[in-house]
Amino acid sequence: MSETTDIQAVNEANALAETARQTVVGWQGVRCTLPPDWNVTGFSMERESGYLRIDAPSDSTLTVQIRWTDAGAPDVKTPYYFLARKVRRMLHRPEPKQPAVDLKANLDKFLKEIAKQSKKSKERLDAHSKPERVEREDEKRRSINFNWTGAGKGQGKIWHCQICNRVLVAQVVGMGKDINAIPGIASRLFQSLEDHAEDGFDLWALYDLQAGIPDGFRLESQKLLSGYLHLSFQRGAERIVIDRWGLANITLKKFTTAEWFANHSLVNLKPMQKRDETAESGHEITRYSGKLSLLSRLQAIRQAKLSLRNMPTRFEGGVWHCPESNKMYAIQIWRQTRAEKIWEEVLSRCVCH
Amino acid sequence: MRVPLKWKLYSAAGRYLPFLKIKPPEVDRKAAMTLRPGRNAVLRWEAQEESGKTLLKVPVNLQGGRFRKRIAQWMKVPKERVVELDEVGGYVWELCDGKHTVEQIVQATANAFKMNRREAEVSVTMFLQMLHERNFIGFYKKTAKSARKG
Repeated sequence: MSETTDIQAVNEANALAETARQTVVGWQGVRCTLPPDWNVTGFSMERESGYLRIDAPSDSTLTVQIRWTDAGAPDVKTPYYFLARKVRRMLHRPEPKQPAVDLKANLDKFLKEIAKQSKKSKERLDAHSKPERVEREDEKRRSINFNWTGAGKGQGKIWHCQICNRVLVAQVVGMGKDINAIPGIASRLFQSLEDHAEDGFDLWALYDLQAGIPDGFRLESQKLLSGYLHLSFQRGAERIVIDRWGLANITLKKFTTAEWFANHSLVNLKPMQKRDETAESGHEITRYSGKLSLLSRLQAIRQAKLSLRNMPTRFEGGVWHCPESNKMYAIQIWRQTRAEKIWEEVLSRCVCH
Repeated sequence: MRVPLKWKLYSAAGRYLPFLKIKPPEVDRKAAMTLRPGRNAVLRWEAQEESGKTLLKVPVNLQGGRFRKRIAQWMKVPKERVVELDEVGGYVWELCDGKHTVEQIVQATANAFKMNRREAEVSVTMFLQMLHERNFIGFYKKTAKSARKG
């Protein structure tokens, strides 16, 4: 009996360790889980239609490609499209009903592009697809599985999600000896792949950084440098900025976390109220909060391209050092007075180790 | 690894004359990761324990005739210049001993500084490239004979 319990405990511990090591990727509402050390190597900034590319580590040719488009948006956006949408919103009219998305046609279009690429490398494309099926208990997703062989091999899935009205194509591609690993990776990918926010929060995860941002915020700018990550989100004039610095042990020889944050903060921290807190993760956070000065408000409006929507009045910021991952994290939020809990919500969803 | 003269000319032309649109030669990533960087024998270095920095002492090339030497003497040109490497740079420099491959150096750096594997790869390869451009290191290619020896 005790032996069985021991084996169970070991299995559970192994499963936990495996979960901790796996790579979580989140971008523009799309999120998935992949084996350890896979990394994002290509992405688009657009929310409505975009792509994400995640590569396997070292010399493997395996790669995951994810593409999504908003099924409701027309291919060519005329001024009338934007004007009609704005008027509808002003008059609180519902969006017009869209015709059902033809998944098969979307898949054919996608496979045609792959055939073109295969033709360049003088390989013939051999593609197969399964019949369309409805997934999930709530029947909110229609999908088609497909695979192809040409210049390499690919296994993928195309689906339409009724909740976010996105058409998403995801595939695992590999060449040479790596093609044997494709089915395993594909099954792991399709089990974990999601295309919209959960509980109103989008997961943004890449290079060991995981953050939950309210789904109304849109990515405005990013800097993904070796040792420094910066993501800036905007909702009207409200802003959330997340920074992550690597090699904290070297930085902290010269500066304290508070000094480092004061040097890199986007507002003047002197008039802000400073206090030390302990986060759920157990890290000591140096937190700043206070009213935004008139100059900072004007800067926020300029940053929001002169939009007065969600005009921020308060600033919340904080920095902490995570010794487990040897990194420093900082969150800065420009918020409206009524959005009081946004700091706690973003902080609780920021995973540092 | 000795870079052929043709490649050197091509890359120089591509860099300084961008309108020619000369593409640099394609490097096989897998092969590049198996190269073993080794330090230039004429360089001396000194690791400072307190600051964690490493100082590379690079001899200044004073060759080129009596006149040039006289001018250098008159202008008091130092015989060597000092290049300062930070803690990470010093760590990588120590591993450039001709025994470790680029792959091993990347992995060791990622583990030592708790960096993401990809981040470590990008920064270490860029750093090695910079050291190579300044002739501080060279790359040994593992030959079939040395591979058999292990």
